Amino acid sequence: MDPFWSNIFRKPGYKATLAYFLGTIPIFANLGRRELGFLEALVHQRNYHPDEVVFTEGDIGSGMYIIRSGGVRIEMKNEHGENRVQANLEAGDFFGEIALTTPHPRIATATATEQTVLVGLFRADILDAVRKHPAIASKILLGLTRVLSERLQHAGLRLREQSFSHLDTSRGEHS
Amino acid sequence: MTSLPRPTGPAKNLVLFIVLTAGIASGITIFSSASTLVDWIETATNGLFLPILLSLIVTFLLDPLVQIFERAQISRTASIFTVYFILLVLVMLLLVLIGPPNWKSMLDALRADFPRYIARVLDYLNNLLASLHSQFPYLEHYDFSGKFRHWAQEFLGLILLETPRSALRIGSLFLLVPLFSFFFLRDSRRIMRSLISLTPNRYFEMVLDIYDRVSWQLAHFIRGRILEALIIGTVVWLGLSLTDIRYAPLLGVIAGVTNLVPYIGPIVGMVPGLVIAMVDLGIGPQFWWIFCVYLLIAQVILDNFILIPILISRVSDLHPLWVILAIVMGGKLYGVLGMIIGVPIASAIKIALLEIRQYRSTFNSTREILLSRRN
Repeated sequence: MDPFWSNIFRKPGYKATLAYFLGTIPIFANLGRRELGFLEALVHQRNYHPDEVVFTEGDIGSGMYIIRSGGVRIEMKNEHGENRVQANLEAGDFFGEIALTTPHPRIATATATEQTVLVGLFRADILDAVRKHPAIASKILLGLTRVLSERLQHAGLRLREQSFSHLDTSRGEHS
Repeated sequence: MTSLPRPTGPAKNLVLFIVLTAGIASGITIFSSASTLVDWIETATNGLFLPILLSLIVTFLLDPLVQIFERAQISRTASIFTVYFILLVLVMLLLVLIGPPNWKSMLDALRADFPRYIARVLDYLNNLLASLHSQFPYLEHYDFSGKFRHWAQEFLGLILLETPRSALRIGSLFLLVPLFSFFFLRDSRRIMRSLISLTPNRYFEMVLDIYDRVSWQLAHFIRGRILEALIIGTVVWLGLSLTDIRYAPLLGVIAGVTNLVPYIGPIVGMVPGLVIAMVDLGIGPQFWWIFCVYLLIAQVILDNFILIPILISRVSDLHPLWVILAIVMGGKLYGVLGMIIGVPIASAIKIALLEIRQYRSTFNSTREILLSRRN
């Protein structure tokens, strides 16, 4: 068959769909196929050019983004007002999830590093889903809570390690 | 890349002249084609305004019911059909139990009675004028009653002319409104999502957030207004049915619909009922009961003390000046229908603006907090 026509009439396998992609994200790992289909109708897919800003520090955040393809650079301003790169995220990573539950100003700036497709999940849609489909919405929120608490625990452990090491060094100085 | 040589002297003037002429000509073309385009659109959408408006109203009313079924894991389309089916059964039951209010004979009787009511009002006016003339002789050559009679005859002619046409239109409404509202109910989310997705990335989150707040407020407001009109209409109907007055259902409908317009609406809605009561029943206990139903029960007790505090937030209150402007402008655009829906639409615009302003102010305050924390 002519590749042009085969491109148009090609039936996308399940692996090419947005629902399958969402299922590979840790937050939504516990969702079934039907729930993923519901989630697919809830999220917004957005395209970004290289160096296009997704959000800047101080913006009112209203949701999280998942990188479907491309890459995103996360930067934070230090005390001198210079941007310092915190992380370079790739496809499958997600960011901005804090703003999903409460309106918080963004604490970092996110910029697309190449041609990027982001999948946005926003508070307005989640609240709508909570009203209309509480069962599925609570599953989504539960997954989010799990990932967030894992991160919190991780951060807490690191903080403790740091403070202990700080104590160790200060003790060393005294003796 | 080679740049073109810059024209100088007369050549420059010529270029300027050509550019200006082309600009003006294309401007005129666009303007004239735009006005014919507007004409086309107006002709094409002429009869669609009312069905779409009614379908939107039905959609707003049915959406909560559909959501109840949707919550029970039924697909949206199936839920809509279920709601439709239940409503159909309810209407059938009502028709079987009570029997349909005989709109046609009522309309025929009204058409026959209308000249009589006008004549009585004219009599009354003439008496009033006679006493006025005796006191203010210089008003003599002012032909009030002639003007009023002329206006009334025109109005009657309009009713006679419009009835068969509107019967046809009502028939098409019964077909169009359920159809339109079915699609609005099923696809409104998808339609709005695709519209919102047109916004640029930078403003997408803000637009989505504002849309969410505004749409929630608006749905609340519109649902409240419609329920208020329905309840007022029903109460007036029931209250009038207790007396010997004719056309109680029709008067109830008028009272409910005019109640959508604040300040002026209830008064206008009261006039036909009071005129009919005065002519048919005379000024006696029944007349005063009807007066009480309209003013005290429907307006003061029900509307002011019960319905408005529960259903409608004070946010949607408009300044009386805006109310008058909305009525006048609505009337210019869509006649009587425009007068009635002008004020709710103005309130809707006000709610939207207020929500956007509030969103922006919270945005700014949180931003300030963040900045101050960093410093």
